[in-house]
Amino acid sequence: MKNMKNIIIILCFMMITLGGMLSSIILPDESLSFSERRRLEEFPKITMASIVKGEFFNQLEAYSLDHFVFRDDFRSIKAYGVFHLFRQKDNHGFYLVDNTIIKMEYPLNEDSIHHAAKKLNEIGKRYLQGKKVYYGIIPDKNYFLADKYERLSMDYERMIEIMRQRVENMNYINLFETLTLDDYYKTDIHWRQEAILDTADRLLEAMGNSYQVSDIPYERNELYPFLGSYYGQVGLKVKPDTLIYLTAPYMKDALVFDYETMTKSKIYETEKFAGMDSYDVYLSGAKALITVTNPESNTDKELILFRDSFGSSIAPLLLGAYSKITLVDLRYISTDLLGEYIDFSKDQDVLFLYNTHILNQSYMLK
Amino acid sequence: MLFSSIVFLYYFLPILMIVYFLSPKRFKNMILLLASLFFYFYGEPKYVILMVLSSFSGYCHGLWIDKAKGSRFSKLPLISSIVITIGLLMFFKYTDFFIKNVNWIFKLDLSPLNLVLPIGISFYSFQILSYTIDVYRGDAKVQRNFFDFTTYVTLFPQLIAGPIVRYTTVEEEMSHRNHSIGDMAYGINRFIIGLSKKIILANSLGELGNIFTKINEKTILFYWIVALSFMLQIYFDFSGYSDMAIGLGRMFGFHFLENFDYPFLSKSITEFWRRWHISLGTWFRDYVYIPMGGNRVSKGKWIRNVLVVWFLTGFWHGAEWNFIYWGLYFAILLVMEKYFIKGILERLPVFISHIYTIFFLLISFVLFNGDGLKGTMENLKGMFGFLNIPFNNHVTMYYLKSYGILIIIAMIGSTSLVKGFIEKIVGNKKGERLISILEPIFHIIMLLLNTAYLVDGSFNPFLYFRF
Repeated sequence: MKNMKNIIIILCFMMITLGGMLSSIILPDESLSFSERRRLEEFPKITMASIVKGEFFNQLEAYSLDHFVFRDDFRSIKAYGVFHLFRQKDNHGFYLVDNTIIKMEYPLNEDSIHHAAKKLNEIGKRYLQGKKVYYGIIPDKNYFLADKYERLSMDYERMIEIMRQRVENMNYINLFETLTLDDYYKTDIHWRQEAILDTADRLLEAMGNSYQVSDIPYERNELYPFLGSYYGQVGLKVKPDTLIYLTAPYMKDALVFDYETMTKSKIYETEKFAGMDSYDVYLSGAKALITVTNPESNTDKELILFRDSFGSSIAPLLLGAYSKITLVDLRYISTDLLGEYIDFSKDQDVLFLYNTHILNQSYMLK
Repeated sequence: MLFSSIVFLYYFLPILMIVYFLSPKRFKNMILLLASLFFYFYGEPKYVILMVLSSFSGYCHGLWIDKAKGSRFSKLPLISSIVITIGLLMFFKYTDFFIKNVNWIFKLDLSPLNLVLPIGISFYSFQILSYTIDVYRGDAKVQRNFFDFTTYVTLFPQLIAGPIVRYTTVEEEMSHRNHSIGDMAYGINRFIIGLSKKIILANSLGELGNIFTKINEKTILFYWIVALSFMLQIYFDFSGYSDMAIGLGRMFGFHFLENFDYPFLSKSITEFWRRWHISLGTWFRDYVYIPMGGNRVSKGKWIRNVLVVWFLTGFWHGAEWNFIYWGLYFAILLVMEKYFIKGILERLPVFISHIYTIFFLLISFVLFNGDGLKGTMENLKGMFGFLNIPFNNHVTMYYLKSYGILIIIAMIGSTSLVKGFIEKIVGNKKGERLISILEPIFHIIMLLLNTAYLVDGSFNPFLYFRF
């Protein structure tokens, strides 16, 4: 009996270790991890210098981790171990409630909030004198669940307090009241376009625009499965979302112009759904500076939207109220360059729209 | 190379096992030597030459000591071996420490050498010394085969983080060792246990320590939780490594001595040091403490001996003052125990002895873990309420709840409760059969769980690598 037990242990150990090695070698390497939204390590180049410096072996370690057989399944096992075996409350700062993945953003970085306010003031003073300027803060999903599920969260009240105290000559639009957890994707950080019609109305109303987004008979277009940015990070297998994008007649001839690549595109680029970040369907994703023009507009009014990725999905809804929206992502373009590309002399509303994650890490705003 | 890495577990180890066991007996040591050199080269390409030169020095000194036996100058080769081995250790490990202190004392501005510490130098230097001293004393036969000697020094299971395997322990097995299915299975089981201690417990507890350093809302309770979790982390980190080393040694036919014996069950600090890092404690006992006279000397000299040994023990752990304070802290406790506390403890209930021991160990590991004296004082102030912080808050409670089960598992795992429970079950036939079925299943599940933790790429450094 004892000998049999020993043989079983040895055989299992050898099968697992050898099997793991051979499978990892034989199976073709993937170049991208869609669930984690990143490029996987390539097998390092062998040079004498890289071996002597130890760089080769460091890269080999990273490569072996990235290309280990059943990698995603092992990451799921680890996540199950963390949540169910050891009953830990988060895995890499993520937790799961009713199939919804939430990132625990904590603590509030007050210096960062001060920096964000300073950045808004700087832009206001340099480019937006005499204009009506507004700003809104988009709460992250943790805002809705942290207290109920005893997770840590940033001090949202303090964040708003600092912004309201520090930001000068701009009107605050409270979005914390209009948004609910259901307005967000379960596997992603972002809000769902089809769920934020009332938020778009709230923004327009606050900016004195009578256009009603919720009155527009949008057509729903579905893309499935949508594995959001949190999906790969939490490690657990959860049900994918359906990405819905709304179309209306005014969007048909609308044109998106990218100043970086000097190219034109459509509002929704559905082929991007199969890419690394499916949310890039909206306005082709992260771009430093783009304009969206609405040829069917009845007004000459324009909107300048300083935004993060959340802005990509709400801009098409707001477009019905404007002839043109200029979207500026300060993560990718310096404040100093704005005057070279944007004509601030027109009849424009100006809206700063940032989610709490960005404000809490605002040093990325250039 | 780390034991707790995919490259070791899924490439290095299975390939080595196949090559080793398919090779004729006469090639086995050479295969282990080449594998060990590659193992070291993988993590420390530059210093592999230093390690081979150190081995060569130890080998030549062994021959010289053997040749000089009975002559007027018999001590000379031993002194030469000690000077060279300790000299290399001092140069690579302590030069910057001395430069820093000379600068501080004499207000100079000497530039530090910024040498990277060769991994494992503290361990293999002590192994070489144990060999030359034992050959001098006649406790070990001289090894005339350079490759076999280098295989002993560089043997990968114990090369970089111990235990300190003395030559006499494996002398016989270097030339004649048996391989059996029982040893192989024992080795695999022991390796997996060690891997689990390291990856699942020590690394997870280490994450809690990292979180603590980053948060602003610290509390007295959190300081205590982190002190406890660090004590458990270092135990599972180091004893896990020792388990893996012992397991790997057994797979290849070596029987290394145990390095830990449930140290947190100790009822005194004296007992603790008989159960913690046994290979280091016995090394200092046999090669420093006893040659200085041990306890068969006057009270004053005994106290001197204790202070010297514990100063060296602390200094061996790292070129920082907090390690020296840590060593001297134990020296003071050991002296106090011998003359004052021991008698009191013997009259008190056992649980009070445990509380006393754990309390002073907690404080010792705060010293050990401190970032300099300032950092240590900050942590001690935090623990004892001198930082003007609340006793508890919601952040502390969150992490206590999140890591509570891990800490409880670690606390239970640091005792002999599980071992005792299994031994009780195995006591009857039915139980033995049950364990025979469950044991392989448990170990395979743990291997897969460890792989999952590795693939997820979590926090992974071995604490004892810095020594």
